[in-house]
Amino acid sequence: MTPVPGSPDPAKMLAEAPFVEVSVDGLVPGGMIEPESAAEAAAVLAEGARHRFACAPIGGGTKLALGNPPERLDVALSTRRLGGIIDYVPTDLVLSVGGGTKIGDVRAVLAEHGQGLPIDAPDDATIGGLIATALAGPRRLGYGTLRDLLIGITVAHPGRITHAGGMVVKNVSGFDLPRVYHGSLGTLGVVVSANFKVLPLPRHETTLLVACDGLTEALAAARRVRGSRLRPTALEVTNSGGAWGMAVRLEGRPDTLEAAAEEIQRLDEGDVWTLEGGESAAWWRDYFAAQDLRLGQDEALLRASVRLRDSAELAEGALAALPGLGFNLPLVAVSPALGTLVVKVRTEAADPATALARGLDLLGALADYASVLSAPVAWKRGFDVWGKTPDTLDLMRSLKHEFDPARVLNPGRFVGFI
Amino acid sequence: MDRAALIDKLRDICGEGGVFHTPSDLMVYEYDGGVDGAVETGRPVAVTLPTTTEQVAAIVKLAHAAGIPVTARGAGTGLSGGAITEEGGIIVALTRMDRIVEVDREDRTALVEPGVINLELSEATGPQGMFFAPDPSSQKACTIGGNVAENSGGPHCLKYGVTTNHILGLEVVLPDGRVVWTGGRASGAPGYDLTGALVGSEGMLGIVTKALVKLTPNPEAILVQLAAFPDIDSASQATSKIIAAGIIPAALEMMDNLCIQAVEPQYHAGYPMDAGAVLLVETDGSAEEVRAVGEEIAAICRECGATEVRIATEQGERDRLWKGRKMVLAAMGRLSPNYYLHDTVVPRSQLPATVARVAEISADSGLPIANVFHAGDGNLHPLMLFDRRKPGDTERMLEAGKEIIKFCVSVGGALSGEHGIGTEKRDYMTLVYTAEDLAAMAGLKNAFDPGGRFNPGKLFPKGYVCGEVRALRAQAIAQKHGIYAW
Repeated sequence: MTPVPGSPDPAKMLAEAPFVEVSVDGLVPGGMIEPESAAEAAAVLAEGARHRFACAPIGGGTKLALGNPPERLDVALSTRRLGGIIDYVPTDLVLSVGGGTKIGDVRAVLAEHGQGLPIDAPDDATIGGLIATALAGPRRLGYGTLRDLLIGITVAHPGRITHAGGMVVKNVSGFDLPRVYHGSLGTLGVVVSANFKVLPLPRHETTLLVACDGLTEALAAARRVRGSRLRPTALEVTNSGGAWGMAVRLEGRPDTLEAAAEEIQRLDEGDVWTLEGGESAAWWRDYFAAQDLRLGQDEALLRASVRLRDSAELAEGALAALPGLGFNLPLVAVSPALGTLVVKVRTEAADPATALARGLDLLGALADYASVLSAPVAWKRGFDVWGKTPDTLDLMRSLKHEFDPARVLNPGRFVGFI
Repeated sequence: MDRAALIDKLRDICGEGGVFHTPSDLMVYEYDGGVDGAVETGRPVAVTLPTTTEQVAAIVKLAHAAGIPVTARGAGTGLSGGAITEEGGIIVALTRMDRIVEVDREDRTALVEPGVINLELSEATGPQGMFFAPDPSSQKACTIGGNVAENSGGPHCLKYGVTTNHILGLEVVLPDGRVVWTGGRASGAPGYDLTGALVGSEGMLGIVTKALVKLTPNPEAILVQLAAFPDIDSASQATSKIIAAGIIPAALEMMDNLCIQAVEPQYHAGYPMDAGAVLLVETDGSAEEVRAVGEEIAAICRECGATEVRIATEQGERDRLWKGRKMVLAAMGRLSPNYYLHDTVVPRSQLPATVARVAEISADSGLPIANVFHAGDGNLHPLMLFDRRKPGDTERMLEAGKEIIKFCVSVGGALSGEHGIGTEKRDYMTLVYTAEDLAAMAGLKNAFDPGGRFNPGKLFPKGYVCGEVRALRAQAIAQKHGIYAW
């Protein structure tokens, strides 16, 4: 590509990249580059392709533990300077932001206009990182994921900047590449900016926490809620301090929420705690924070998913079998209306890598998909953290080859060690 | 392989009745719902009507070996030429693969073959309390496979999202004849979102032979309101205020006076003949919610100058109000021998300016243009009336369409909201995308279909793909050898 006048020489940028205290699964890059523009990012990646450098894009650094250990790592590419609100039209419910923008900042700007991006994420996660990692939380039940809100994107690839989609909420002009970048773990390009459709904030929210006698009872309670006329925006079954419970998040108009909350109390006989407004939101922030990928040294976080009807079988099966591998389970979170299970495992086993691989196999046998979301690097050896290899891996490899033939971007970290 | 041998082999695969090849049979397949002149027509060498995935795979393998392009086709209701083959290609018509394989009430999913008709799926699942949310206007005829190919929308996608938000997994025949599944019943399939890549890919990446779709619970209550306004501006203002109040209705449709004039005398939907515009607003949810939201919407409409607000809650009344909207196209026949239905999107706030520009374009071209919109999401459908028999009318119609697109793009809009690019708008792609943007799309195409066998000639500007794919390969080779290629 043609060099941008006045922009720094990418070779010089790479050569002079300052050393920064950052590591990806124990690999420390030689330096960190902070491009200020899409052109700079693309030029640096092109230079990386020329010299066979490996580059790890880094946003807020909240999910660096996701993926296999990098095959190589020469330079980190921070999106810190690619942040900020680019365009926001509240009347059109659309927003364009830099890939390095923190979701917390986005929330604050939107909230001034009574709008929001209804996804679960820690405030310091960046938009680019959220798109790349595609880790949705409990609110997916009510609002879908970022995939459903993403309407346009600008991406820097080695030597090329591309746009897809646009700034309108409905658009079928060409292939739907925004969906392809979502969840691609930065292996196809670096998200320079992204456009979203935003939603009006709900006028009110209420959370009901229902105590249950055990996992089975909690799952049964959740099933009754799902089968009712109510449309919760999150519905979880979890264990806190040894006690099982169900959490139901309702969002909407205050008058209708009141009726809905009463209905849930009628569905269930257990003790019910009700949280309103800010208290409710704070409870869910804490709930999802417990699933943060930044873990202690002897912990790992795993996720498994099944069709909804098999949620109970998955949760019960996992709980029965994982302790047998020497794991304690400090966290169990079941989303019975989404068919997912997230477990935190802790072990002091002499060979945690083997135990983790066996744990993943075990979940893989119980579930359609199972993966390790986070684990100490010493545990991530000898297996693919993404679980069973998909039949379409060759297609995925071809796709990777089209966008990053020199394997500059996150080599080895994604599915099948792409 | 000569033509006769090809047809024999296709008959071996699909059976005697599964292959059309006589000129009169093939002629039907030269068209889709698009307007002759706006889309490119082409006569296939043969039309196949497979009944199983294996047959589709066998046809694709045969075509692959013979070097013949393949175009998948559903009901042929598309408007951008996507289901029409290049001259001499094979059409794989999927209308005989029309089984609803499984409806799962607990998971709220359905596994369907691509030839299942959109509305028939919702009719089949309705008694179990669920529906398939995408509802294009052609839903009585169009197929789920076609919806997947075009990423179809419809009035209710304002609240429920378009097709891609409702597809969980796909069984696909790839251009080399291999059959694979993408996505599935569980969320979180590892790897790239190939399902997301396939939806809206206009039959250029794979042929869908089964779709696992998400079903949505039937709302408890539905309220339809019809608000009549003196002009488009006041109706647009009401639209903006409804959204600004934090209300996302299930559907928010607008029609101008010309539409009302066409529809009302024929279908008696109850639209005031003298209204400058009508808004049709549907709200759904719990009974109490619908009542409260409906009152708010009515107040906003009156505040913005609505001369009349009518409310329908019972199915019969609701259907009558909707009928006027759904019959707009059919009614146009009264006003003109031919019409061209356009599809563009602008930011919602640009609707009044866009309608004003469309009126100018109408005056300049001398062609009446009626306006019907999915106002809630800025998706407009200018309906250009013309007479093919009048010399120059078709050309003026095409020119007017181009002017509309250019304006929409200039205010930050898109080429198409729900009809797709096909051959109709391929040459406009460069209005919104750079050469590098198109190269990324070509990259996706190349990953699935390096030989360019599936539905060639669509989406990319005419004559684009081959050269670009070559350039991409050269680039890959350059990178491999460490040559700085750009």
